[in-house]
Amino acid sequence: MRQKIIIKTGGVLAILQLLLLAPKLQAQQTVVDSSVLDRINELEKQMAAKKTGEDHFMVAGLATMGFASYKTTNTVNGSSTVTKGNSFPDADNFEFSPMLLWRHGKKLLAEFEPSFNNNGVSVNWADVSWFATPGLIVRAGYLVLPLGTYSKREAAGWIDKLATDPMGIADMAPTDYGVEIEGGLPLGSSKINYDVALTNGNQLLPDGTITSGNIVDNNNNKTITGRLGLLPFSNSSLEVGVSGMFGKVGDQGANIQNTMAKVYAFDLNYVKLLKPILINIKSQYNIQDIDKVDYINPADSSTYSFNNHTISFFVQGSLRPVNASGFIKNVELAGRYTIFNTPANSTFGSNQHTFTIGLDYWLSWRAVFKITYEAYKGNSTASKTLGAYTGLTTTNTLFVHFAIQL
Amino acid sequence: MKKLSLKNISAIISISFCIIFAISIIYGCKASQKVSMKTGAQLWAENCQRCHNTPSPSSFSPEQWETIGLHMQTRALLTDTEREKIVEFLKQ
Ligand code: HEC
Repeated sequence: MRQKIIIKTGGVLAILQLLLLAPKLQAQQTVVDSSVLDRINELEKQMAAKKTGEDHFMVAGLATMGFASYKTTNTVNGSSTVTKGNSFPDADNFEFSPMLLWRHGKKLLAEFEPSFNNNGVSVNWADVSWFATPGLIVRAGYLVLPLGTYSKREAAGWIDKLATDPMGIADMAPTDYGVEIEGGLPLGSSKINYDVALTNGNQLLPDGTITSGNIVDNNNNKTITGRLGLLPFSNSSLEVGVSGMFGKVGDQGANIQNTMAKVYAFDLNYVKLLKPILINIKSQYNIQDIDKVDYINPADSSTYSFNNHTISFFVQGSLRPVNASGFIKNVELAGRYTIFNTPANSTFGSNQHTFTIGLDYWLSWRAVFKITYEAYKGNSTASKTLGAYTGLTTTNTLFVHFAIQL
Repeated sequence: MKKLSLKNISAIISISFCIIFAISIIYGCKASQKVSMKTGAQLWAENCQRCHNTPSPSSFSPEQWETIGLHMQTRALLTDTEREKIVEFLKQ
């Protein structure tokens, strides 16, 4: 860049010099000062020698930070306990994740996003994409799985309109090691897209919960995750998608080794300017079914069983008067309703929902200041005979939050 | 019964998507004339707001837009023509 500026100013000076000399030259018909010609030749040589190269490296990513103040009331068998707390970063409120992007020519892109967050230092994704032919991208590495759209497209702090993630949605679409193909194709005035990944798959833990992202597969069976998306209108305002994730989750050699997990997701995204307001509706519904087998109660290692069925759902709407003038055009109002029902009669079952509302102020297209209020209600459906029942829990939290795309 | 109907709905939705997908492959994927006529500026205005606020062309250099164009194609699953036109517009 500096070199470019020097060359440019050098060139301009040379031209100025020539212009100043011009009248003299006309009058006297003498040859141009040879030092000027030498200088021009030299600059031309330098320009010819300068190679632009074909790769490019940049740092992007995101940072979010905030403050949360909450009050929780838990009622079991008629007696209530109240806890209050406040904290600067909490689970949803601190992340500093610089993302590295390398581009080789026009067909290869590597992305790596380490993250400093409430889990210490971890990695959000690390993969390489090859733009093989129009409509086909091939990727390998540590991938965000294409189950629904929230995890891959909507979770970043400066993208999400509210300070919290909808419960249970991202957990079912984890990051995993494997390969992936994806692409977007025109279809008349509509568009379709596909995204399919083959990965190690999740691991079933003895208590019936799931963990993800094992670098060495816990069984020899791979998990397939796929999504098909459709944008029916030519203005791309609406996208709907269906996804599925299928694979065995039991440990090799264990009596649960053939246990299958099937997850389905349906997603919707609608963004349209109805002057002067930009309307934004996002929704996703996840259903997770794991075969019914004997699980182990972590409290006493006895075996027990339950229907291992989980659902999570959210619908979110937001309004921003983008065509208004002044202060008001940077304000956005958002609301969300979330349901997260974990298996009844397990040791962790609960029927939960949250109402979340928020007011955002956009400092730029990629920096936002949010005030979010969330009301949570969880009704335990955990097994009473196993002593896991936890009654009714309500939590009200106020978040003050700042997020920026780096 | 409730569970069964949920499964049926899931199956119907999934199958309809597969049919749409199959039809599009059989008929070859072509954009209509209306879509082919769209400019980079129009595609930028329509597509980038689907997930986040529309970025200003002045935020990044031409080289950076080239990289971000590929990166966003992996998130938004833009068609190749869309990405090329949008990046051309953003580089100006
Ligand atoms: C399908 C959702 C989606 C669409 C549509 C989308 N983006 Fe993004 N964009 C994201 C996400 C998610 C990120 C955050 C980074 C990440 O997840 O890797 C992001 C990040 C960015 C960034 C920050 C740098 C980077 O590469 O991470 C820029 C710039 C950007 N988008 C520009 C655009 C432009 C221009 C368009 C229109 C062509 C666009 N985006 C369309 C989802 C989207």
